[in-house]
Amino acid sequence: MKAEKAPKLEKVKTYSIITLVLVIIGSAISFWVANRIDYYTAELVHTEEVLQSTDKLYATILERETSIRGYLLTGNEDFLKNYENSKTKGREVFNHILNLTEDNPVQQNYLQELNIFIKQRLDVFERSKEYYKINKSLNGFLNNDKVEDAVNGHLAIKNLIDQINAEEERLLIERNEILINNIKALPIIVGLISFFSILMGALTLFSIFHYNRASKINDQKIKNYQETLKEKIELLNESNNELKQFAYIASHDLQEPLRKITSFSDLLKEQFDEKLEGEGKHYMERITASANRMRQLITDLLEYSRAGRDSMESIKMINLEDILDSVLDDLEISIKEKDAKIKYENLPVIEGKETELRQVFQNLISNSLKFSQAALAPEITITASNAPLELIEKYSQLDQSINYYLIKVVDNGIGFDQDYADTIFTIFQRLHGKSEFEGTGIGLSITRKIIEKNNGLILAEGKPEIGATFTIILPKP
Amino acid sequence: MKTKKSIQILIAEDDDDDKLLIIKAFQKTLSKENITCVNDGEELINYLNKTSNSENSLFPVPDIILLDLNMPRKDGKTTLQELKSHEIFRKIPVIIFTTSSLNEDIQMTYKMGTNSFITKPGNFKDLVKITQEINNYWSNTVILPNKI
Repeated sequence: MKAEKAPKLEKVKTYSIITLVLVIIGSAISFWVANRIDYYTAELVHTEEVLQSTDKLYATILERETSIRGYLLTGNEDFLKNYENSKTKGREVFNHILNLTEDNPVQQNYLQELNIFIKQRLDVFERSKEYYKINKSLNGFLNNDKVEDAVNGHLAIKNLIDQINAEEERLLIERNEILINNIKALPIIVGLISFFSILMGALTLFSIFHYNRASKINDQKIKNYQETLKEKIELLNESNNELKQFAYIASHDLQEPLRKITSFSDLLKEQFDEKLEGEGKHYMERITASANRMRQLITDLLEYSRAGRDSMESIKMINLEDILDSVLDDLEISIKEKDAKIKYENLPVIEGKETELRQVFQNLISNSLKFSQAALAPEITITASNAPLELIEKYSQLDQSINYYLIKVVDNGIGFDQDYADTIFTIFQRLHGKSEFEGTGIGLSITRKIIEKNNGLILAEGKPEIGATFTIILPKP
Repeated sequence: MKTKKSIQILIAEDDDDDKLLIIKAFQKTLSKENITCVNDGEELINYLNKTSNSENSLFPVPDIILLDLNMPRKDGKTTLQELKSHEIFRKIPVIIFTTSSLNEDIQMTYKMGTNSFITKPGNFKDLVKITQEINNYWSNTVILPNKI
């Protein structure tokens, strides 16, 4: 099948996130612009109000001047009432403007100045009013300077109000421009953001579609792999069974000619013993010895092929201390012969087959007894603990999700070079000459086969002349 | 150590070497005339059909049969089944004499009616011992049925 490169799910995620961010930014900008429009509209209304108020203020000032002039000319008290009214109204309007332009220092300055001029004018009005009340005329009060002051004062007030109005009008124009700009920009901004959001959305949809298609193809591929794997496993199982059968049948068939070699050698020796002499006899012995050794090898091979095979024996909970008790019973003679000390306590209960576990410890202890140092009584210690997690993590064949026991068999024997730690478990591999130590080298390989069959692991550590440590890792029941 | 009463033995064995060894071993206690050999189950049945009780018969009636399991043409199990379902031949004791030590072979042949199951030993000395024991047991210890 043609491999289609699957877009990574990451890409789809990135597109979606970008789309989301764009939508959020777009909304924020739109909201901000709308707020600005709102703000400047309010500001425009505000400016209009200031302008209206300044007009009102000027009107009160004019009214005040007209009223005081009327009073001073006619002496009619009604004019005074008007004057007082416009004074109060003027103050109110002035304060209102002061409040409206609170945020504008330029206007505040103008207003301070205006206030001074208004006060000066008012001061003159008050004094002329008092003078008139007493003298019933302004004769002796007015002079050329005072008239000039009055004209100048009024002009200054009018100028200042014009300046305030000019400033507000400038603001009005400025704000109006900003407002128009904002109103114009809004559809462009919203349009752009919408465009990019839609683009990103489309891109996301496209990659999701592409991803789905690719994963469908991948699913199919995985299915095919699974089928191939299943077939391979079946083939493997078949050949594994054939191999088991082969080892078994081969061992049986191999025994046949061997039995004959031995038997005919026996017969030869029996019938022609007197005729054989010297080398002839020696050769006969060699033939017999070789045949015997071969028989041992075949027997061991048979035992190895049987080890860990699905036997009828049931799996049950087994106390390792009981196993060791019986193993030590079986090995009593060689333990006494070697004057060996074997210590063990607090060994756990393990799930397994009794025969197998017994074989494991029998092999390990026999091994330690066999490879003891000539001048040193063997000491063998068997301990158990919980296997630390870091150790389990080191071996991929162990299940990381379950707990294991760590069982150690430590001896003070002749040990071995660490380089051979793996070799000692291989069938028929020996580290020592046959003349030094008997045996075919089958014990440890059977041990390993059983341990691995029980989902465990066995490791060997050795130091020449110091001793060996066998570490068994087995699942907790 | 020749026994007073000689038994007649019929051996069904296809392997010439084994045949030679077994005969050699039996000859330690029995004379040549007491031992007869056939090559397979087919020959065994043919032989039994030709037997007669007359003196100096070419086909003497056997007291016991030694039957190998692995044989060409008709193997030991089929032969055993035929013998044990035969009206007359079923009373002749059969000893399975084979290289096999498989549990299923042992269980099956006993179920089919064999009288003994012996695995061929690995050397000649043991073979001689076994033949002596067979001879002693079937000629002295047990009382055999009437010859057919």
